[in-house]
Amino acid sequence: MEVNQAKQEHLLALKVMRLTKPTLFTNMPVTCEDRDLPGDLFSQLMRTDPSTIKGAEALMLGEMLTLPQNFGNIFLGETFSCYISVHNDSTKVVKDILVKADLQTSSQRLSLSASNSAVTELKPECCIDDVIHHEVKEIGTHILVCAVSYTTQFGEKLYFRKFFKFQVLKPLDVKTKFYNAEVSLSWRMTDEVFLEAQIQNITTSPMFMEKVSLEPSIMYNVTELNTVESGEEGESTFGKMSYLQPMDTRQYLYCLKPKPEYAEKAGVIKGVTVIGKLDIVWKTNLGERGRLQTSQLQRMAPGYGDIRLSLEMIPDTVNLEEPFDIICKITNCSERTMDLVLEMCNTRSVHWCGVSGRQLGKVGPSAFLSLPLKLLSSVQGLQSISGLRLTDTFLKRTYEYDDIAQVCVVCPFMNES
Amino acid sequence: MDSGEGPARPVTLDIAVEDFANDSLAPDQTISHHAFLLPEETIDLGGECVTPLEDSTATPSESLLERLNDQMMESVMISDSPNISEEDDVAPIDSFLETGDNEDTGELEASVSAVGKPDVILHANETEAELDQQESGSPDQEVKEEEEGNDQKGQQGEKGETVTVLVSAAHTPSPPSAMDEDLAMPSLMEESLKDEPVPVCTIFSQGNQPKTLVPDGFQPTLIKSPSFSMASGGGSDETGTPSKLTPPLVCQPSPSLSKFFSDNGHMNPASDFFDSFTTSSTSSFISVSNPNAEAHITPPTPEPGLPAVPPQPQHFNQLQAAFSGSDDPFATALSLSEVDRRHDAWLPSTETRKVLVAVATQQYNQAYVERDRITMPGLKFDNLQSADAVQEALLRRVPPTSPVAHSPCVCFVPPPLQSGKNWRAAADLTGRLLTAHGQGYGKSGQRTSHTSDSLQLWFVRLALLCKLNLFQSAEMEMEPFGNLDQPDLYYEYYPTVYPGRRGSMVPFSMRLLHAELPQYLAKPQDALDHLHSLKNACTTILKNLEQGLAEDGSMTTLTQENRQASIQLWSSRLTRSMYSIANCLLSMKDYVLAVEIYHSIIQYEPQQRVQLLSGIGRIFLQIGDIKTAERYFQDVEKACQATGSHPSHTTNVLMNRAFVHLSQNNYAEAHASFSQVLKVDPKNPVANNNAAVCLLYLGRLKESLGQLEGLVQQDPAQYLHESVLFNLTTMYELESSRSTQKKQALLEAVACREGDSFNTLCLKLV
Repeated sequence: MEVNQAKQEHLLALKVMRLTKPTLFTNMPVTCEDRDLPGDLFSQLMRTDPSTIKGAEALMLGEMLTLPQNFGNIFLGETFSCYISVHNDSTKVVKDILVKADLQTSSQRLSLSASNSAVTELKPECCIDDVIHHEVKEIGTHILVCAVSYTTQFGEKLYFRKFFKFQVLKPLDVKTKFYNAEVSLSWRMTDEVFLEAQIQNITTSPMFMEKVSLEPSIMYNVTELNTVESGEEGESTFGKMSYLQPMDTRQYLYCLKPKPEYAEKAGVIKGVTVIGKLDIVWKTNLGERGRLQTSQLQRMAPGYGDIRLSLEMIPDTVNLEEPFDIICKITNCSERTMDLVLEMCNTRSVHWCGVSGRQLGKVGPSAFLSLPLKLLSSVQGLQSISGLRLTDTFLKRTYEYDDIAQVCVVCPFMNES
Repeated sequence: MDSGEGPARPVTLDIAVEDFANDSLAPDQTISHHAFLLPEETIDLGGECVTPLEDSTATPSESLLERLNDQMMESVMISDSPNISEEDDVAPIDSFLETGDNEDTGELEASVSAVGKPDVILHANETEAELDQQESGSPDQEVKEEEEGNDQKGQQGEKGETVTVLVSAAHTPSPPSAMDEDLAMPSLMEESLKDEPVPVCTIFSQGNQPKTLVPDGFQPTLIKSPSFSMASGGGSDETGTPSKLTPPLVCQPSPSLSKFFSDNGHMNPASDFFDSFTTSSTSSFISVSNPNAEAHITPPTPEPGLPAVPPQPQHFNQLQAAFSGSDDPFATALSLSEVDRRHDAWLPSTETRKVLVAVATQQYNQAYVERDRITMPGLKFDNLQSADAVQEALLRRVPPTSPVAHSPCVCFVPPPLQSGKNWRAAADLTGRLLTAHGQGYGKSGQRTSHTSDSLQLWFVRLALLCKLNLFQSAEMEMEPFGNLDQPDLYYEYYPTVYPGRRGSMVPFSMRLLHAELPQYLAKPQDALDHLHSLKNACTTILKNLEQGLAEDGSMTTLTQENRQASIQLWSSRLTRSMYSIANCLLSMKDYVLAVEIYHSIIQYEPQQRVQLLSGIGRIFLQIGDIKTAERYFQDVEKACQATGSHPSHTTNVLMNRAFVHLSQNNYAEAHASFSQVLKVDPKNPVANNNAAVCLLYLGRLKESLGQLEGLVQQDPAQYLHESVLFNLTTMYELESSRSTQKKQALLEAVACREGDSFNTLCLKLV
């Protein structure tokens, strides 16, 4: 309130307006036919209305731009633009005007003014205009502090400030999920990681997702799985319209492959690894742009323990009660040498062929064995292969391997009959 | 823009890492391996540097506003949306009149300081002085007239209004087709009508008594009489006789309807007229004045526009029993006008159809149709005039001591070529006419009969209420009409009044508006349902026509010419309903479907290809999808090239480019493109306004303001538009502390030009 009183003494007035994008004026078409009571009155009016589309008056969305109607919401990653106008309300010339605009956030204070030099004089009814831009990088309360200092005709130095407070809100909710694939489609052992990112629009307006990409860390190569390759141009999995309605969520999928030089080091990737970060660029009304990056996404590499068992070869479809071959790869991930014994336990559907409890011999650190095995299934359908047990005779530890892979078991006589 | 912000590091989100190593080594040394591991984590966008959001449940904008008021000494400019709110409208003007001077200013001050803009406080004295200056400075004759009129007005309130409905309806006995052409001619907006005698209903106000004034500013609004649609036969040569009537100063004035309701010429027009009010077996007395009862003998004198001295109107109370249908229905059916059939065709529901068939075969007496199958409308609002937004604003802003305030009608002295934007006055007039028809205030739920004219009146009323943004009122008044499919809304229901006539008395435009209405009342799904059923009816009718049947699917043979005309009419109705569907979807922000439908309109209206493609492009710009928008704009350019150079096409292409630049944050280029449009078409209001908007974003407020102000002064007809005025007032607010005075000047300009329905909220007069 002190400012109010002080303000009346001031010769200059400071006005600030946030410049969000203008909007397109929409009109409300009310039409009638010539035969109706108003005749062509309505259509005549629509034709003369400057905001309608000539020749297609029933089209609601016009071309007339209107200035922003309110402060609106501002979201993290968007650009805060502001018009600052200092107007000389008095009838006297004012000298040495310095306008400063600072933005105070909860952690820092930034200067937004383009120039720090004073304007030498301002005549009555003239103004100093400045448009400032700032990409907001913090959530929460921001205060725009505008300070004006000037000298009157009589050499009196005057100074006033105005504060404009606004809240920066969170635009997106991002959730990530990792899927570790130990075998690729070709049943080669890999260390592929799939990243599913769920991005939810938590603003109140539709959002066009211009770019959602994963910037991988140096260890990985990334493949985006968000387009369907059909013909020359990939079609987005989200359809033709790449926008998100308020509260809508969209899943993006990425496949990360360790670069060979990292993958072969030590055979496996252990512990916490940095996967990369998501870079999100969106646009809203008339190209209002926002950009966010997540911090580094980290993944705990699955603990393989001392021994890792993976499959090198397995058929996808097998016949009922007919033996088939698989090749297992057994890798010693520990720092010591192991002496392994393999046991094979039958389950309800899977029956192992061969001797259980056979010696596999010594396996050094990071060494691996390829182990061909034979088994058959007595039940039709998608069957899970389970029941392998490895025992390290040195430490008398048993490692269980269940649900190693799945095969589809079909009856070979079905097709013929 | 991207380049400008390139060096800035993008925002980094902090991530809260949770323990997702859910298969770390178990102590028992047993490891179970799964093909997939499913850890999930949530990224916290907040981070540590963030102040926790208080009351996150409140809508952001609201809480923001509150905070601004709480702690700030000055606030960011926050303006209301220019959409008129209905509550304001319904408030009677008396309340404003009664409020004293001090009270008024006090209230203003309070509201102003609440918004936190102390520099907008209005001092009554100041304003007054300012106004006086302006008034004396302006050589406006109208003002002087008004000042004189003031004295005359005395204490007479609004009740003193005298409304005269002057109806000059004349028609030449021409064949129906020729007649139709005449009617299609634009004859409005001009006081002097064309040579062609078109039946016209002129409604204007005229002070008959020296003591009365016309406070509500009835403009000479030309409304084409619906009678031309029925004046198909060459039977009787009755001429519209302009009549003058002074209704008593009561709540229910009974305006002269005279030729307003000229009916088809096969019957006695007078009895027709009365039929239209009293065919139902109700025995209510309805006061109508019908100078036509005598006048139909008058020879045709085509003097439209000239209020020829009419015979003294006759008031009589008439009780007319239902007219017994003595005419041979078959004979009349033969002469049924093709045009009528084409326009009125509709597909009633099976239920309704049954009732109609029963009525036609005289198994059914109308009096016994169940009440719930009958439409019983009535006005819900007696007088809309009292909520004239412009007057209200004037009264609020201008102290009552000022002469202007005493005579708000200053604004309604007919400016030349007043195009009839006094929707309130017109809506009230429809109300009075409906009252005369027995469907007045409080009559809802009472049995009544409908005529094509009464339904036209309802349509006009509905359209006007929509134009006034009084959607809730419109909905209330439309409620008794149900889904517009009750049997008594079809001609077949009145075999005696409309012998042989078939189809819907409800005009298609009314069905359309009725279907659109829920969209404005936050029920867009209902609107979509209704609009889709309209669209379906149109497609069915078109299908019938293609199969060689009549519109309603009956086995009538049509001549090729008539069939073509019908197909044309119904496909235009089809596209109109598609436009409405697409508009509704757009307002629901269902962009996918909206774009699809706009796109499908192109096949029906190939001449609108350029506009539609540009419109779709703009939709994509609104979403933010600039690439797709550019693709559509390229299609527009191709379409323009294909059709050859046309100035409007150049404009279109340039305009689209400007919008793309705008969306790329390149305001300088956008401004250049809009300026280019102005080189081709210097008077283009859109380009002018948009160029000014771009200037503001370029930090050139004074130039922008100068441009807009100049436009409004030079060509007020074009630029006294809501959107332009909104921009102008916003800039005034930004420019100086004296925006209030400037806004007031705008209000006065508006008051002198625009009708009573102008949306004053766009002037942001606090």
